[in-house]
Amino acid sequence: MSHLVRSELLKQRTTRTTLLLLVWMTALILLVTLLHVLSLSSAHISSLDGQLKVVGWGTGIGALFAALLGAMSITSEFRHGTIRPTLLASPRRERVIAAKLLAGALTSLLVGLLAEALTAGIEAAGLAARGIHIHLGAADYLQLLAGGAAAAALFAAIGVGIGAVVRQQIGAVVGLCVWLLLIETTLIGNIPSAGKYAPGAAAGAIAGAIQTQSASQLVAPVLGVVLLVAYAAIAAAAGTLATTRRDVA
Amino acid sequence: MRDEQLTTVNAVPGASGVIDSADAVVTVRGLSKHYGDFVALDRLTFTLTAGTITGFLGPNGAGKTTTLRLLLGLAEPTAGEALVFGRRYRDLEQPTGMVGAVLESGDFDPGRSGRNHLRMLALATGIPYERAEELLNLVELGRAADRPVRTYSLGMRQRLGLAAALLGDPELLLLDEPANGLDPAGVHWLRGFLQQLAAGGRTILISSHVLAEVAQTVHSALIITSGRLAGQVQLDQLEDGARSLEAAYLELTGTMS
Ligand SMILES: Nc1ncnc2c1ncn2[C@@H]1O[C@H](COP(=O)(O)OP(=O)(O)OP(=O)(O)O)[C@@H](O)[C@H]1O
Ligand SMILES: [Mg+2]
Repeated sequence: MSHLVRSELLKQRTTRTTLLLLVWMTALILLVTLLHVLSLSSAHISSLDGQLKVVGWGTGIGALFAALLGAMSITSEFRHGTIRPTLLASPRRERVIAAKLLAGALTSLLVGLLAEALTAGIEAAGLAARGIHIHLGAADYLQLLAGGAAAAALFAAIGVGIGAVVRQQIGAVVGLCVWLLLIETTLIGNIPSAGKYAPGAAAGAIAGAIQTQSASQLVAPVLGVVLLVAYAAIAAAAGTLATTRRDVA
Repeated sequence: MRDEQLTTVNAVPGASGVIDSADAVVTVRGLSKHYGDFVALDRLTFTLTAGTITGFLGPNGAGKTTTLRLLLGLAEPTAGEALVFGRRYRDLEQPTGMVGAVLESGDFDPGRSGRNHLRMLALATGIPYERAEELLNLVELGRAADRPVRTYSLGMRQRLGLAAALLGDPELLLLDEPANGLDPAGVHWLRGFLQQLAAGGRTILISSHVLAEVAQTVHSALIITSGRLAGQVQLDQLEDGARSLEAAYLELTGTMS
């Protein structure tokens, strides 16, 4: 099993996809955070709540790119056909999926950490430049970094599961983007009583904030962990089933 | 596992007729594969014994690649069985040490280098990196090894696929049009290499459309059409190698004009 995880980590390091995802994530965070920090009125951004809502973009974007990384670790194998040599080397398909889950989660800890650190850093610099006092304390930052990393790792597992079910690269990527950026934000904006149980909102609960939502609208962090672990487990189970049951063309 | 290999190595090459399936390296029995209403394979049956090189011939769409995919556990048969060393591929303990395969599709991530392609497969099966280096040299890809596969020519990809198939030093090779895109020197090298492997007791199944090449390489040829076995030809029983293989092929596939 550890052989397979190391093979998956090598695959991540030796494909351009990983690097491209990190570059796109950094660019997106830079754009979104700067846009908010510089354009929001000081009334909006002077409170702790307002500052958390902006820094929460790091959680959402980190989770999205972790999910993309997880999904593409399998859809790119179908796209290029490397799934065939991969399954010849390891015909027990559930082990391949498990290795992808582990490798994706490991790397995504760093993805989540990077996303949160970038967002928090840019926000702090922006606020300082505008002469606005920063209300976030050490505990907030700690929850953001640790929670963001954990949420990203779980989202990578969700991505692997979805990628294994969908198989098709564009479908998985578009689906994840639409869900996290469109459907979830609409859901929690309009039906917060239900929306707060969705995966993205659960990630926000773990990290203490997600874009446009602060802790007050979210479930407790522990419940967030339980929810996200459950979503990851369901996705992983579906992905394993879809992979072991279906032919590889 | 050792014992099994020893007995298969000692089996009579090219033996036909009823073969104890314990001695058969490849056992295809009543194998069918349906895609919806379409019948890609229709109760195909054949066996391969150790130390033989067998050609796998038939028109486009006859079901050659499908048969190989079923043997390799990539797809599930609709009916019948496709066994290697008497077992399903996925039930082998060390599959890459027993079976190596080159599939016609050339399955590489275009952005990954040839060396890293071999390394990721080596890692997955616990094979040391030195073995990957050895194979890069063997297939003469040493100088291109660090370039992304995207920059490889067709023949270079074919060589890389062959190197991947040989990583585990397998007893059985399943090759889907391996000479496709190789230059004349490459074809010559491949022929010699396969004959050498077979002489050492390995078993090789090689699909191809180049009958002249097949006639020079194989001991016998399986000919299939529309998912069915049309016939098996022993090359040493043909009088005039390539020409009569072509005649037999055209007659058996019913494509003689
Ligand atoms: N996933 C699939 N869905 C539907 N039909 C399929 C699928 N895979 C293969 N087929 C069909 O099965 C038949 C056999 O295909 P196969 O690839 O085995 O042929 P082949 O003998 O390898 O041909 P070629 O010489 O052209 O490589 C073809 O008609 C093909 O269209
Ligand atoms: Mg084919």
